[in-house]
Amino acid sequence: MPVFRWGQSWDPLRDLEREVDRLLQGMNFSLQGRSTRQYPQINLLDKGDHYLLTAEIPGVAMEDLELTAANGVLTIKGVRKPPAEARDDSFRRQERFQGAWQRNLQLPDRIDEEGMKAEYTLGVLRVTLPRSAGTVARSIPVTEGPE
Amino acid sequence: MSESPNIIRRDTPGAESASPGPVDTTSGGLLFNPPIDIYETAQGLVLYADLPGVSPEGLNLQVQDNRLSLYGEVSIQNEDAQVVHEEYRIGNFLRSFILSDDVDHENITARLNNGVLRVELPRAARAEPRRIEVSSD
Repeated sequence: MPVFRWGQSWDPLRDLEREVDRLLQGMNFSLQGRSTRQYPQINLLDKGDHYLLTAEIPGVAMEDLELTAANGVLTIKGVRKPPAEARDDSFRRQERFQGAWQRNLQLPDRIDEEGMKAEYTLGVLRVTLPRSAGTVARSIPVTEGPE
Repeated sequence: MSESPNIIRRDTPGAESASPGPVDTTSGGLLFNPPIDIYETAQGLVLYADLPGVSPEGLNLQVQDNRLSLYGEVSIQNEDAQVVHEEYRIGNFLRSFILSDDVDHENITARLNNGVLRVELPRAARAEPRRIEVSSD
């Protein structure tokens, strides 16, 4: 069904109308992938004594992946390189994310940064973030000060 | 190569929002349309598809008639834990394509590494024009 319509469709414009329809539908199609959202997609789970962060980052070389935690913020960044053999003008369809990316995630609790572990399997990154033992509230004794 | 009408998707093309939700199949699992790249090389076409969480054992890639279809079953399942933050959901992948006659169907090769599928679709050698002798009665 046409997306685009002239008020009155007469013959010389029919080709143009069809062409515009085709373009609009083509645009729609490129939005069907999941590539238009923030990259990469992240989930964070609470596993009791630790948090588990998972991210879908298919096809990233380990050496292009960087993971840091400081002041309760976890940063993951990396680069997704296009295949060296592919020229820009040789693409017929390009929906996959490409280029440099970075995500910063505010962690809900203090994390034991020494105990962080990360593994990468089948294009999925899994980061284990142990809760810091120092999150137990410490009571501060109050003494009477000088008057 | 062109994309075949995706018979599995319930939502109609043209009524798509910027971030369409996954399709809930009757089996209870989610089904996603994976993002792809297709580009041309001197030898033919190369197709890439992002299939995070799919192992080579979980991937079914087949050519029937002129249709190349890929179905990837994720081997990573949802964790049993409280969700603090959720941006993506876990599900299987399905997409199919119509191959042109230029593709040499017998010599399609595929590799799956780190959740990325690469399919090489070599161009078939062109059939030589055959001269037809015409005779008169």
